[in-house]
Amino acid sequence: MPPTAATNLGYKPPDGGWGWVVVFASFISIGFSYAFPKSLTIYFKEIQEYFSVSYSEIAWLSSVMLASMYAGGPISSMLVNRYGSRPVVMVGGLLVCTGMALASLGTTIIHLYLCVGVIGGFGLAFNLQPALTIIGTYFQVKRPLANGLAMTGSPVVLSTLAPLNQFLFDSFGWRGSFLILGSIVLNCCVAGALMRPVIKPAQFQPDNDSSMSSRKGSVEAAAENVGSQSAENSKNRSTGQSFVSRYIDISLFTHRGFLIYLIGNVVMFFGFFAPVVFLAPYAKHQGTDEYSAALLLSIFALVDMFIRPVTGFLGNSKWVRPRIQYFFSFAVSYNGVCHLLCPLASGYGGLVVYAVFFGLAFGMLSALLFEVLMDLVGAHRFSSAVGLVTIIECGPVLLGPPISGALVDIFGDYKYMYYACGVFMLVPGIFFFIMHYYNYKKLNEEQRQSVVVDLMTSEETVELKISQIKKPCNKTEDGSF
Amino acid sequence: MTASLKQLPIQILLIMASCRHISSKTVGPTTPPLVPINPLQMDTRSVVLKGENKAERVELQNPVNLSLECIWTGNQKKQLNITGYWRKDGVEIQDSRVTVNLENQQYKLKQTFSIVNQESLGNYTCVFGNEAELEFILSAPQVGEKRDKPVVSYVGDFVVLTCKMEETKPKPNTWNWYKNNGTHKEEISEATEPHRYLISNDNWKTKLKVKNVSEADSGLYYCGAVYNISTSMSSVELKVITIMEPLKPFLSILVEVVILVAAILIYERSHAKKKETEANGPNSDPKNTQSQGEDNAAEENASVRQRKA
Repeated sequence: MPPTAATNLGYKPPDGGWGWVVVFASFISIGFSYAFPKSLTIYFKEIQEYFSVSYSEIAWLSSVMLASMYAGGPISSMLVNRYGSRPVVMVGGLLVCTGMALASLGTTIIHLYLCVGVIGGFGLAFNLQPALTIIGTYFQVKRPLANGLAMTGSPVVLSTLAPLNQFLFDSFGWRGSFLILGSIVLNCCVAGALMRPVIKPAQFQPDNDSSMSSRKGSVEAAAENVGSQSAENSKNRSTGQSFVSRYIDISLFTHRGFLIYLIGNVVMFFGFFAPVVFLAPYAKHQGTDEYSAALLLSIFALVDMFIRPVTGFLGNSKWVRPRIQYFFSFAVSYNGVCHLLCPLASGYGGLVVYAVFFGLAFGMLSALLFEVLMDLVGAHRFSSAVGLVTIIECGPVLLGPPISGALVDIFGDYKYMYYACGVFMLVPGIFFFIMHYYNYKKLNEEQRQSVVVDLMTSEETVELKISQIKKPCNKTEDGSF
Repeated sequence: MTASLKQLPIQILLIMASCRHISSKTVGPTTPPLVPINPLQMDTRSVVLKGENKAERVELQNPVNLSLECIWTGNQKKQLNITGYWRKDGVEIQDSRVTVNLENQQYKLKQTFSIVNQESLGNYTCVFGNEAELEFILSAPQVGEKRDKPVVSYVGDFVVLTCKMEETKPKPNTWNWYKNNGTHKEEISEATEPHRYLISNDNWKTKLKVKNVSEADSGLYYCGAVYNISTSMSSVELKVITIMEPLKPFLSILVEVVILVAAILIYERSHAKKKETEANGPNSDPKNTQSQGEDNAAEENASVRQRKA
């Protein structure tokens, strides 16, 4: 059975209890992080008229927000490594609220870029990373299920925000809506308050020389900062810690699994979001009316919503969990195939079928996206890993939709864009399959080697102890060994 | 004297004749002349009616001589002759009654109307006996996208109201804006109040910027697309509110969040204190046993209690 790297947590996660409350809290945080930028598009038309700007200048608002959210990843990771998830999420909620409240007083479009885009984006980054990280600290056995459930937040919050935003807009115009949205987003602080640092029970493993600190952590850990504990653990873990690597783990770039994930994801994200963005315009291009096109998006969101927990549950099953990387590779390839076949869909019925299959594909991929990263690097280093991954993914995420848009404009037809997106997803999918087969083999070899080494060292320690007992005078001089 | 007396009845007759002439002219402002006066463009619209009442919209930009034709395929009776006539806005047009013959299993009614201004636009209906009716709705190009919800703005802020004509329809000559002033529509003129209004027309689009709005500016605003034949109107509603309105939900949600966060943190604090007192009770001096590293039993008890909690 291929090993997972997550066993080096150093304690046994609860896998339940308060963990499910934390999953709910993450559900809210992740939901707001992904759904908030998308839901603001309802206000664009009026803001565009108010400030007399072109459509592309307004669309930049979403892009700046998304870019800040991804760029804030490493900072968020550093803060989580030091202070734990709870304070970071609460600060994030406050940031977004402040950003939106300031934006409601805005007089220029630049003001909006700064308040909604930069401040809001950073606030959302401070919500996303900690929410993902804390799941890794609470769950080990049921982690894929927990991740799947938490990621369901995105479509659910989007489906709730969309009609709510419309209602707010009709009642209060864009200024009042921004103000009220700021207060709604403040509920992320409530989610943060629920993210109690996990209580790590005492360890009594003889070869663990951090037993002193962990014993201290048994009762007082509830009141103490988890951050200081993880700092202590990292001190004990390895030597040669520089200032930066105490906050964020740059040694990840030498980690084989992490590199595979990173390279694959960078290519994949070029074709990830564009089909969602262009689903409704493509439908209208094919001749469907506006309401039916909107209905397609609703079908897509509904299917997405249901498949995410199901994927989490499947990922947890004993057949899939050891080979979860293959499941992820399958999800990525399936996305690619879906897009490649889309141009064959004819008529509205064909588009509905495509929306259903695309919803399945998108949901599967999203539910597994961070679970496989946790699986590869372990929950300990996950915080740094996700920070590095998001800042590098910033580029493809931002460039993807405009490139697709350019393809549509150049050829005047949507099918080339779908072919391109299909290729962007199928190639990484196949890459993942091959690389993970190789990675699993290597991990198996390494585990066999480390088992052998462990046997040898434990034999040596036993011999040493026997020899020490035979010489009592040495022991009293040296003290405890 | 006798000559003037003899002339009187003739004069009275002449006056009566001229009066009749005048009265017939004033009676029929809604009845368009059936014969074209000026050399206008000829345009033909024809619709076939098949057993059902139908209506067709016709949008006109310039004054034309419009020829409307109705074809009816008849019903079971298949009478040889049927009386047909035209109605405008529900009123029968004078001298329009004709006898229609059944030709090739069809009845045809055709009439040319001179459509020159707002009065001559309207609903024209051709009627076949008492059996079938077909309506033509003549108008200037209508503004398609109309916003049915009011535009919301805040006291002291400015607001931009827009009207857009579909680009497939003819381009308006210009746009006018009107404000509903209780009884009538008053035209908004930029020249008279340049510090309050700014109108920018852009072919198919028009924007009215109202600066420094107050609650008195709430109400209906009309935009009119001016064509040679007539002006077609659409309306936009403006609602002006104070900052207090969104502030109330904002503050109430803020209070809710603060209460929830405080409740969660206080519950956790009290829960943790309870656990601490539990754990510290039986294990009076955990630090004494630490250095020896021998008292595994006490350790195990503490960790087990921890896991149970």
